Amino acid sequence: MKCLLIASESAEVLFNWTDPEFQQKIQEQYGASQEEGQRLPAFEDSISTLFAPIIISCITMVDRLGDSYASFTTENNHIYVLHQFDECLYIAVNGDGEEGEDDLRRKIYVMKKMIEVLFGMVTLSSNLLRRELRPQDTEQRARLWKHLQSLLETYSHIRENDQSFLVEAVERLIHPTLCEQCIEFLERRLVQQLNSSIERAGEEVMHAFILVHTKLLAFYSSRNASTLVTSDLLTLIIMAQNMYPSCIDLDDPSPEVGDAKRKAPVPGFFNLGVGTPRGVMAEDSLQTLEVPPPDPSTPRRVFLEVSLKEGLYPMMPHSMYCLPLWPGITLVLLTKIPTSAVAMSVYTYLEAFAKLEKRLREGQEGSAATRGQPTIHDLRSKLDKFIKALGPSDIQLQNVWTEFKTRAFGRGGPGFNRDLIPWCKNMKTQLCGIYRQCFLIDPGPSDVPRHLSPGLQERAQTLVQEKLMDWKDFLLVKSRRNITMVSYPDFPGLIHFICVDRSTGQMIAPSLNITERNTSELGKGPVAQFIKSKVWSLVNTTRRYLQKGYSTVTLRDGDFYFCYFLWFENETGYKLEAVDLPILPDDSPPIGMLSWDYYRKLRRYYSKNHQGEVVKCYELLTVHLGVIPSEIILQHCRQLASKLWEPSRNPLL
Amino acid sequence: MAELLSPDLRGCTYFFLYDGSKVKEEGDATREGICYFYPEETPMDKQELLCGQLAGVARCVSELSSSSVRVLRLRRNKYAIRRKDDFLWALGSSVDVPTISVCELLDQLIDLFCFYNGSVRQSYQRNSREVLAMRWAQYLSHLQAGSSELHHIFSCLKTIDATNVDPLLLLKAALILQACQRCPLVLVGCILFRGRVVSTQMSPNLTMKVMVHESETYNKAHKPNGPSTSSSSGGTVSSITVFLTMSELQYLQSTPVDKGFKFHSTPHKDTIPKKTRLSRTLSDTPSTDSEPSDAGSTHSSQKVSFSPCLSASDNVFSPDPSENTTDLLHPPMQSQCPLSNGKSSHDAEEDESFYHSFHTNGGGMSQIGDSSGLEENSHLNGACGTVFDFRAAECGNEESHDHKVGEDSRRGSGGSAHGCSGATNSHNESPLVPMTLYLHRVKGLVLVLLVEPHFLSDTASMEEVYHSSLAALNGLEAHLRTIIPGPPGVQVPYVFAHFDCTQSTMTFSHFSLLFY
Repeated sequence: MKCLLIASESAEVLFNWTDPEFQQKIQEQYGASQEEGQRLPAFEDSISTLFAPIIISCITMVDRLGDSYASFTTENNHIYVLHQFDECLYIAVNGDGEEGEDDLRRKIYVMKKMIEVLFGMVTLSSNLLRRELRPQDTEQRARLWKHLQSLLETYSHIRENDQSFLVEAVERLIHPTLCEQCIEFLERRLVQQLNSSIERAGEEVMHAFILVHTKLLAFYSSRNASTLVTSDLLTLIIMAQNMYPSCIDLDDPSPEVGDAKRKAPVPGFFNLGVGTPRGVMAEDSLQTLEVPPPDPSTPRRVFLEVSLKEGLYPMMPHSMYCLPLWPGITLVLLTKIPTSAVAMSVYTYLEAFAKLEKRLREGQEGSAATRGQPTIHDLRSKLDKFIKALGPSDIQLQNVWTEFKTRAFGRGGPGFNRDLIPWCKNMKTQLCGIYRQCFLIDPGPSDVPRHLSPGLQERAQTLVQEKLMDWKDFLLVKSRRNITMVSYPDFPGLIHFICVDRSTGQMIAPSLNITERNTSELGKGPVAQFIKSKVWSLVNTTRRYLQKGYSTVTLRDGDFYFCYFLWFENETGYKLEAVDLPILPDDSPPIGMLSWDYYRKLRRYYSKNHQGEVVKCYELLTVHLGVIPSEIILQHCRQLASKLWEPSRNPLL
Repeated sequence: MAELLSPDLRGCTYFFLYDGSKVKEEGDATREGICYFYPEETPMDKQELLCGQLAGVARCVSELSSSSVRVLRLRRNKYAIRRKDDFLWALGSSVDVPTISVCELLDQLIDLFCFYNGSVRQSYQRNSREVLAMRWAQYLSHLQAGSSELHHIFSCLKTIDATNVDPLLLLKAALILQACQRCPLVLVGCILFRGRVVSTQMSPNLTMKVMVHESETYNKAHKPNGPSTSSSSGGTVSSITVFLTMSELQYLQSTPVDKGFKFHSTPHKDTIPKKTRLSRTLSDTPSTDSEPSDAGSTHSSQKVSFSPCLSASDNVFSPDPSENTTDLLHPPMQSQCPLSNGKSSHDAEEDESFYHSFHTNGGGMSQIGDSSGLEENSHLNGACGTVFDFRAAECGNEESHDHKVGEDSRRGSGGSAHGCSGATNSHNESPLVPMTLYLHRVKGLVLVLLVEPHFLSDTASMEEVYHSSLAALNGLEAHLRTIIPGPPGVQVPYVFAHFDCTQSTMTFSHFSLLFY
């Protein structure tokens, strides 16, 4: 009984995802109210009719009371979580008790993050985003929604099964030698070769990484690339998993929860472009679309955060190439596209207009409204040039800009005052439109190739395959049993732990693979499942406390003793003194790194009092047997923390 | 000790009762459905907005989930929601208050209303919104007032600080209650001192409800312009009708205390039909003139004589002949119905004139008693007289006492009418059973007994209970008065609180460690 819905302010459904139970319930409800002989309305219509009163009421409350709904709970424990981003209202529902309010809120934020990665700055204009999420063409809409639905399902699945997605940090395969070899290989052989090829069509490989299931074997960024932030990397892992689902469950004969929901490992490429009917449907698709075989060489457009000397540019266009090496092992290439400078300009202008609008809203006028960098005249001449360079392709932007100029700079014009606000808005929409045209719309097959040629991709694929051929089987096993508790004999009574370096977004934890046929030291079946559920609930508990400003939690639960610590260190590994953490409201974004980087904010908050020092943030969770005295447990935690981040054990990215 | 903690942070921002049946058509104004809205000074359009939107969303979500909504959370407020038939209650509070506390508070509020007024639908049919609004406000302020944040979160009872009291006194209080229980008509009791529990035999839930009336009376008595204070007269006995749910009643009847007095309870159960006759006279108060009510029970001639008086007195309450017939068909109900009918004539402020006319007529009771021409009645009048006599003798202030009792029974009677009809209405899913609350006040101390409705007409029992407890109560009061400290001392930042979930009480002790 799960559902996620995105609606516009006019109560139009922009996206919906339901599990089969929810869909069945809606259809039953509709069937009951339907008169005899009449056909059931389309599912999309029923769901929009049923949710319309909630959506409308939500908008009314915001308009008239300045307050909006956060959540509903019913007597049979159905939970509804609502969140509004600009003009899009997200509603997540759970009726089977598997998710709590926090989980639903997280799901909403993750969905928003995935939409941002897929649509970039188009999300900044609600109007454009609405059209993008709900294309007029029903076939296209069905394809897009299917894609988003399967992304959401993939996310939910790995969040439920993967510790790295539980704590929202990247897990690396712990094998220092192989890691180093692979990084070197990616740098010296692969990226260099790709970037020097003429078949790259102007694209430049910025990042290359190898995934074994959801774990990272090696990651290489070219020298002029900015770092890939954890939230983007996690999103890319979800997307790669969605394309090439690792068949962890399929090779396990035991009936697993969620097994039925998993799709077979069908390589699915999806193109967001208009009029290019590429794409693959999940096999449980209701409508059978005639889809031509996917062209695996077409990259996916993703929008990632880039930080350069000039500043921070969110949502810069990249191409993502997902090259399957073997089932479960994938090579991912991220390239900068030749026109990405346009995106940076658009972002600069968007930011300038947003700032101007904000000042005008605050009642500032004239020069007070236009101060700041870049100056308004600077902006004017740059934008003039920019529009000229774009050519006559965009008449609309030209017209709006001319109108804006007459109003703002013209002698008889009103100048910089409140009347200019709608024109600021209009300019922003136009700029988003340009951005959409440049980066979201496929130029069509007739154009010259704009991405790495299929041959080049194939060569890259073969290169890495050759390199890893001997390691293949080892890696697949290693990814299931990355590290095990057996390697920690110095910690008697320690059952499990998770250690996270929040500065780099990496985590280490013994494998908790319960779907595996051969038993781990935790055993299999109920015991391992039990420990797993304990770990999952402990993480939720600690997050709740963290939200309330607690950095330490110790908890005795039955036969177990749980500990959680969050602490700060400086660059040299010296532990910094604890401070009072900020207390967040209940409806603040979920704590984590995938949708919203809480820890980045936390480090910034901490470094306010530690100017000039690099502040690192760590977390440690441990599960001990309850009979172990608490002094020993605390000693263990201390030792474990220092041992885990020894440089020799864990090479840096 | 409760006062040591910050008394605020309960933060009930809004409370409303919305009757969806009043707003069905497109053109119906939302305000028609708003039965009560707190704070009352909220502008009407905001009231309409909140009621309309929240009720609408609650309905929509209920349909989607096929279950009623419990909590609606907004960014700045949260609302506990209850729905019953067409009624929707919403209690809003700030987001800092734990959700479970808000839900519990709302449940308590609704329970309180039903305890004193009977079914909500019937109450609103019988009474004007203004009258009931006063009651909602009263219950709301009672639940919000006085207790600390911790008390509020655990919704526990206000007790006297047992650490300051000689345990023997507590034992004495318990013994008084046990002594009262020797009378088979007494179900359970509790002793309160200055709005705090000294000893109780009731469940925490029931004790909480009972305390509302008591603290209300206590507070009134302590206002300078309040009605003649009970404390000045030394001791008073009053009674009101209350309504118990079936489960509460079953719990009471299954308490070990009752079982211990099995020899009582068996005849007691047998006596119910017998006592019905007695109960027709019911009231212990000369002024209430409940005698007309018993007219409705068996003899149709009496019913006739009774009905006009009713319709004349109470416009809101239109007596339904069918109800009376139902009464006849269901003898157990009789004992309640006549009582309530009779009392209902004194219900609500608008009946003041009627009450006074009766009162000033003088000997109203005997008049009607005579007219009914029942020898039973005259006998009971005599009985009533004796009840009154001994009290008059005790307190020596007939006038004020008379007044007081009359008032009390008027208060109580309000609910009884509705409850009675609620009970007779078969569609009401959880029937409420009318019972009587007997209160014996000795200055700040009050003995509250939950008794069978016909206890009031059973002079012998009443006298027995009264006399057996009077001296002990006086003694207890004298002791407690000297012991209970006045205003609490300085606020200490650290306290140790112990919550007893069985009795729903909280004890505080302070860390004296801090001073070393």
